[in-house]
Amino acid sequence: MIAEFAASWALFGHAYVAGWLIAVLLSLLGVVVVARDQIFLGAAVSQAAVLGMALALALGSAPGLHEQDWMHADWTLLLAGAACAVLGALATAGGGRRAGESHEAITGWVFLFASCFSVLLLAHSPHGMDEINRLLASTLIGATGSDAYVFGGLVAAVVAVAVAARDRLLLLATDPEMAGAVGLRVRAWNRGVSVALGLAVGLSIHVAGVVYAFGCLVLPALVAKSVCREVRAMCWVAPAIALAGAVAGFVLANHHDLPPAQATVGLLATVLAVAWVIARLRSARAA
Amino acid sequence: MSVPAPFGRGAGRGEDEEARARDGPVLESMSTPAGDPPPGEALLAARGLALGYGGAPVLRDVTLTIGRGDYWFLLGPNGSGKTTLLRALLGVLPPRAGALARHPLAAPAHVGFVPQRAALNPTLPTTVGEVVRLGLVGVPVARAERPARLDEALAHVGLGGMAARDFWALSGGQQQRALVARALVRRPRLLVLDEPMSGLDLVAEDRLLPLIAAWNRERGLTVLYVTHEIALARRYATHVCLFARGTVIAGRRDEVVVPANLAAAYGVAVDDEAEPADAGGEAPG
Repeated sequence: MIAEFAASWALFGHAYVAGWLIAVLLSLLGVVVVARDQIFLGAAVSQAAVLGMALALALGSAPGLHEQDWMHADWTLLLAGAACAVLGALATAGGGRRAGESHEAITGWVFLFASCFSVLLLAHSPHGMDEINRLLASTLIGATGSDAYVFGGLVAAVVAVAVAARDRLLLLATDPEMAGAVGLRVRAWNRGVSVALGLAVGLSIHVAGVVYAFGCLVLPALVAKSVCREVRAMCWVAPAIALAGAVAGFVLANHHDLPPAQATVGLLATVLAVAWVIARLRSARAA
Repeated sequence: MSVPAPFGRGAGRGEDEEARARDGPVLESMSTPAGDPPPGEALLAARGLALGYGGAPVLRDVTLTIGRGDYWFLLGPNGSGKTTLLRALLGVLPPRAGALARHPLAAPAHVGFVPQRAALNPTLPTTVGEVVRLGLVGVPVARAERPARLDEALAHVGLGGMAARDFWALSGGQQQRALVARALVRRPRLLVLDEPMSGLDLVAEDRLLPLIAAWNRERGLTVLYVTHEIALARRYATHVCLFARGTVIAGRRDEVVVPANLAAAYGVAVDDEAEPADAGGEAPG
């Protein structure tokens, strides 16, 4: 199985590396999402990224813009997806308070609005619908060497911030009231986290699709939550689980000729179920 | 004491309202960070503050001076604005009008805060040690000194040797003491407690309150204690800020806690020794 995987490296090496880096990047940010108990945020921001790409595809077929080469460039889709994901993350972070609505309500609205309009915008564009279906189905095959460098840079940046500001981030994620009382600029930090989350999810969606991005965001952090005794341990356990899951998922997918994104997310979801059972048994024994 | 020009007038609903609230003027006559001001000298001075949220005014004409070593009780019925004033004094909520000046020793690095209850997500795994260690955020402490600080803070609240314990396995009273330890690990000059005994039993209360009173007396720790319980104020306060009809009556305890003021605050005649019938409850002030 390993030899087969090694043999496929020449063809899919960039996709593998990009996929692993995405898993590490999103699982790190996922610790904050899970600590705040905002799991559904990941789905909403992923869907917002899809809406951004749908918007770029729809505008690309509009008269006047259709002839512009840059409208059809890959980076246009990438930037449109990332921009909408950032807007979606910022809306869920602060929009609820301003609108007098709960965080869950705004998150649900972002998810439903983005889900519907990403399809409606491209309902009469067969090529566009194919692209949306590809994003929703998740495939890593098209990842390039550039993608690997981009995500490598993002992982380095997020790790650097996490190491430098770990305790501040943990306090913000776990107890924002206390964070404000001891002088942290809670809103500014929240905006920063939202921008990072939107960028990471938006860029990941283009390469890996919705299922892989959402799965890597929440599943490793949820597994870490089940097995760790402290939140700070989740910060390194979650990316370790994400990386191990992605490596194992890709190897299994290659061996059984399965889509790697689904294989990885399916594996992580199974690991989470096992972790829940073990945690339940452990707490029953302790009681 | 000189009070600087009004800070935050007309401000508060923009991009940097938290920054404006926190970075207000210092008390000019006392800007000597090298040493503590003498007992009684002002750490915080509010003049004519107006406070509120969005379009809703909560308090007006709030004037009080909190001196070093004072033990202030912020006293009033639920919904009277106690927590609102506390948020302003902490620099989280900018005033709509008036002036709020703070001594450098009332800056966030010198403030310990104890909330009503842990705002932690109860499904998150955490230990007593982790909860208390996060209290060091914003305080410049060498890494090597941190374990000693943690042990000291836990010992102060009677949780010595429990750093590795699951926070969620503690009783409500022990959890609240851990939150007090999280405030004390900062070695604060100003300790702020927002109804810390809310929902706890008398045993927990009896353990914690004398401890805080001792720190106040023996170490000159300045304390702001939010509650609706008049009896606690009578027992421990040196000063009281009573919330009445959208403003406050603030001063020395014996001058403020009098039947006329209590009647104004609670809307019913209050016996000098009794609690008002509607003073209980869980909602923040």
